[in-house]
Amino acid sequence: MVAAKETKPAEGSKAKYTPKKFIGNERRTISGKKILERARSQHSLTKEQKLKIKKRAVSRRSMVVKKPRFPRAYMTQQAKRKLQLRKKQCYKDHKRTIRASITPGTVLILLAGRHKGKRVVFLRALASGMLLVTGPFKYNGVPLRRVNQRYVIATQTHIKLAGVPIPKQVNDVFLKRQDLKTKKSVDKIFTEEEKKYTVSDDRKKFQKKVDTALIAAIKRSKKAGVMTAYLKSMFSLSKKDYPHEMVF
Amino acid sequence: MSEDKSKTPVVKRVRQKQPGRLYVKAVFTGFRRGLRNQHENTALLRIDGVNKAPETEFYMGKRCAFIYRAEKKKQLPRRQKPTKIRVIWGKVIKPHGRSGAVRAQFKRNLPASAMGHRIRVMLYPSRV
Repeated sequence: MVAAKETKPAEGSKAKYTPKKFIGNERRTISGKKILERARSQHSLTKEQKLKIKKRAVSRRSMVVKKPRFPRAYMTQQAKRKLQLRKKQCYKDHKRTIRASITPGTVLILLAGRHKGKRVVFLRALASGMLLVTGPFKYNGVPLRRVNQRYVIATQTHIKLAGVPIPKQVNDVFLKRQDLKTKKSVDKIFTEEEKKYTVSDDRKKFQKKVDTALIAAIKRSKKAGVMTAYLKSMFSLSKKDYPHEMVF
Repeated sequence: MSEDKSKTPVVKRVRQKQPGRLYVKAVFTGFRRGLRNQHENTALLRIDGVNKAPETEFYMGKRCAFIYRAEKKKQLPRRQKPTKIRVIWGKVIKPHGRSGAVRAQFKRNLPASAMGHRIRVMLYPSRV
């Protein structure tokens, strides 16, 4: 009389089927989503279907493996867990937003770090949410670099970046800081010489590529002379400069 | 000597350009207080040029620093040379009153001897 379900094993075999009611030695947690789904599906069942399920449960009860006499761990009372309805994202999946005032070609003022006060050109937002920026290197010594948008003031000055190639290989991994300190190793008695930072050829190549195009774009812009001088100069506050009254 | 020069190009030692002031000047006027009790965890700052409460909106959340000198040199992390200059970092949390004063909380409470002295209000974290 019992209707055969796909998962039900062939008659007589006890092997594969592991009933869900068996509480083993692992802790089982049911996600909030599943609880809600189950409640919804129960709602939609007819009387016949419910009867079927009951019968199936009865037949399956005989297949339930008996619990071992002395379980390895006694299941303590499971703490009341809140229904986890929303899936929590890990940090790398978070959405990174850039301020609306920062668009490719904007001139930014760096507020902190070794290049503080310098005016640089914003190229692209990186996947980590940091900003890819370049001096150009010839103008103010700022190379292709990552910068956090919180340490930056976006000015209203723009440079049209049409025709400036921004290589895709220049990303967070490429621009990551190199760890120069040699790791302590037990076998080495003599300490190795501290590695000095050298600029890789790749970086020089990309820098040249981007900068030549960028400088050309700057020279094409209106008031090119002013723009060049602007990027070469540094920002600073003087006596009567109040940032809350300034339009950047 | 001249031979060396002809072989290796003389590298011009370009002096690194120093930026000017990148912070706003402020004065530490006192701790948050009622008439007879004071709470040292919150400092009151008066920022230069800010005279009305609506003007303080720009400075909310900005980091501020109290910089002072000590007698003994100390080695700071990530810095090469030990130095006599020390900092207490903090941030601007909310406005205080109608005339542009501002409240700030520092990592360690400011010393009372700092009252009337200079505090630097940085321009970061920037929201512009």
